[in-house]
Amino acid sequence: MKKIDVQHLDDLALGSVFLATGGGGDPHVPKLIAAQALAQHGGVEVIDPVDLADDALVVAIGSVGAPTVSLELLPSVDEAAKTLEAFEKQIGRSVDAVASFEIGGGNSLIPLVAAAIRGIPVVDGDGMGRALPEAQMMSYAIAGVQPTPAVAYDYEGNITAFSTKTTEVYERHIRSLAMAAGGMITTAEHPMSGRQLKESVIPGTLSFSVKLGRVLRENRGAAGDLLAPLQGLFSASIYGACEMIFAGKVADKATRIVGGYDVGEAQVEAFKDPSDLLTISIKNEYLLATRDGKSVASVPDLIVLVDYETGIPINAERLRYGQRVAVFAVGCPAFYRTPRALAVVAPRCFGFDVDYVPLEDH
Amino acid sequence: MRIGIDVGGTHTDAVLLDGDRILAATKALTSADVVSGVTAALDTILADAAVAQDQIQTVMIGTTQFTNAIVERRELSPVAVIRIALPAGAGLPPMVDWPADIKDALGAQVHLLHGGTLYDGWPIAELDDQEIAAAIAAIQAAGIENIAIASAFSPMNAAPEEHVAAQIRAAIPHARITLSHHFGRLGLMERENAAILNTTLLPFADRVVTSFLSALRTRGLACPVYLSQNDGTLMSADFVRAYPALTFASGPTNSLRGAYKLTGLEEAIVVDIGGTTSDIGVLQGGFPRESNVVIEVGGVRTNFRMPDILAVGLGGGSIVAPDGRTLGPQSVGHRLVTEGLVFGGSTLTATDILVASGKADVGDRAKVAGVSADLVATAQATMHEMLDRHIEMMKPGGKAMPVILVGGGAILVSEGLAAASQIYRPENAGVANAIGAAIAQIGGEAERMVSYRTQSREDALHAVTAEATARAVGAGAAAETIRTVDIEETAIPYMDDASTRVRVKVIGEIADAPEHREKGA
Repeated sequence: MKKIDVQHLDDLALGSVFLATGGGGDPHVPKLIAAQALAQHGGVEVIDPVDLADDALVVAIGSVGAPTVSLELLPSVDEAAKTLEAFEKQIGRSVDAVASFEIGGGNSLIPLVAAAIRGIPVVDGDGMGRALPEAQMMSYAIAGVQPTPAVAYDYEGNITAFSTKTTEVYERHIRSLAMAAGGMITTAEHPMSGRQLKESVIPGTLSFSVKLGRVLRENRGAAGDLLAPLQGLFSASIYGACEMIFAGKVADKATRIVGGYDVGEAQVEAFKDPSDLLTISIKNEYLLATRDGKSVASVPDLIVLVDYETGIPINAERLRYGQRVAVFAVGCPAFYRTPRALAVVAPRCFGFDVDYVPLEDH
Repeated sequence: MRIGIDVGGTHTDAVLLDGDRILAATKALTSADVVSGVTAALDTILADAAVAQDQIQTVMIGTTQFTNAIVERRELSPVAVIRIALPAGAGLPPMVDWPADIKDALGAQVHLLHGGTLYDGWPIAELDDQEIAAAIAAIQAAGIENIAIASAFSPMNAAPEEHVAAQIRAAIPHARITLSHHFGRLGLMERENAAILNTTLLPFADRVVTSFLSALRTRGLACPVYLSQNDGTLMSADFVRAYPALTFASGPTNSLRGAYKLTGLEEAIVVDIGGTTSDIGVLQGGFPRESNVVIEVGGVRTNFRMPDILAVGLGGGSIVAPDGRTLGPQSVGHRLVTEGLVFGGSTLTATDILVASGKADVGDRAKVAGVSADLVATAQATMHEMLDRHIEMMKPGGKAMPVILVGGGAILVSEGLAAASQIYRPENAGVANAIGAAIAQIGGEAERMVSYRTQSREDALHAVTAEATARAVGAGAAAETIRTVDIEETAIPYMDDASTRVRVKVIGEIADAPEHREKGA
């Protein structure tokens, strides 16, 4: 994929909801913003990470905050480009390309807005390959890229520069600022050289999300019929195996807010045998699937619930009793199976008392 | 005694109730001018029950006219839209994601102004009187008199909307204005959309209400008149002149409420089987369960309170596949009476299957003699399986529940349903909508973001309840009868100051003295 145009945005957004594994936020407003920017400034060049010069400067751009608080604070079309401008002014150098924090959800679209307005390329790749809740879980951070120097830009054009000692402190400070600025800010962070990016990015996820969205759109219908096209797509990608691990009816779902996470469980009972239960543990995202007390899939592998009749992915906050769902699991990119990645994204990092077992070893 | 009238796209139904007793009921076709159909229905029930006009205390009307106007893009008036949220949302103007045809039908003029607040009350920007004056001048120059105003977080601080509205009223005395905070819920774009849809209907609402009132007056009915809202409560006829959009989806709501009245079941599944679809809804405490997803009206995302309805493509006119394993979603619809086999047509429909099974006797049974017993059995099993599966999806829990069948297609259910603890087929189910309209009460709702750290929970709930109560009284409820029916508290993630979104809903009986009612804004 060489270029992303307005007509790719619906597929990109749909694919990003699948990759968001239940979290990531509704991409509706980011998609509207991106559509405005791309209609006005034209399509965006998509650059393969390997084609970046080693000394090129790349920065990750996206929104940070709490969508439930900022739901009346609409973003402006030029916010992402202004963030980039402020970042360049702060470090005294122009940026060669922008990248995404996370391909899952609305942040798949924000870098496109900055890239379109500024006429620079967007990297085909992101820092998660899915959605995850915290900055230290990003592949950039795991590979040792520092989050700062970073710049945050708010609705009024206030600019805040960050220079922090650790990623954890950066995460804490940026959240506080987001709350002081109405619940949502745009940040340019994790500046990288081309060489650093090649070592830390989850490659190809932007163009993959567009393809995934197209497959979901073209195969809209029974989830069972979706499996073969999805397997074809995932097997030819950086992701691993794709399996339909369960199909049934949501028999229970209960979540509550704990420490900033939406935490809880959903039970899915098999169509043929209601005593056959799959338990999905939720912490913003679908993180762990258990059957008969045994883990059958877990973070960092992807667990995705889709509507059984249409194949449309269902966000965790929209999941409710009675829905008929198919549960897909997808092996995560190899990067997230390395010891240094598992040290921050394994099930135990989310408080689950199980070890990570790759999907295909279950 | 009260009269309930339901004006649908096809039928106008009316019932006359004395307390809980149905004295008369009628079902007639909706007339092109609407009003003559209403007066004809009134004449029928008054004559049938031999009741004098002065014994009627109230008339309640449910109508789909305003929903249909939006869906069909007709009777829409030009609108000016003012959003107060800059510098936030620059470049993302009102109606940016609307279908082009309705945007064109509205011919809207859009103004983005500075102002509004954040979730915690901090001003996004100060209001700029010069900017406001320039917008008003442009609206005047275009000759627009219908104006929608929405500001960020107005459900928590309506002052910016009120300020701009006052300036407009001073400059344009005949302006019809909708303020978005009257549509409650948080979500700026959806609330703004609701306000715009309401505003474009205001002149039409005036005409509809005037014609309803004159129809009733010419029949000697001088009693108060109410229209039903989408949540199963009522608003006074004058209130509808200001809030026509609140009638959206009142049809399915009245059907659910009518089913409740006919059975007395507060917790039940209601299946309204028509010619093309079966609409499945849920009664909770005698009221429809509300949907919690974004509702589209005519392709526009809104925040309206709507009943949670699952429409299944199965009705009396559904076309049956040759193997009987698929029914619908294609339907011959109202052409059933000419295209169905039993009516001499050539299409095998769900109704034909029923007649062939001997469970119903419509049309000419000889015409389905050739349909094999196997096909009949398979198709019947398919119908029941479809309904069972979708009822199961709507059930609030795992236990079997009572199922109430209403609508002309209710005969399709000839056997038991696995999801049902018991099946109810109330008499008069055909006029459930009109009954639902006739029994409605007056409600009010308010929503605020509060902090239990700066305000005690008790005080906060009290304040929000007081606001909902004021709204119900404004809509025509008797203050002394108001009771709280729902309090919803949602803690906000990432917030460490115990921020909680609180929504309160109250309901009361209709106030006797209409002159005490406050008119809508």
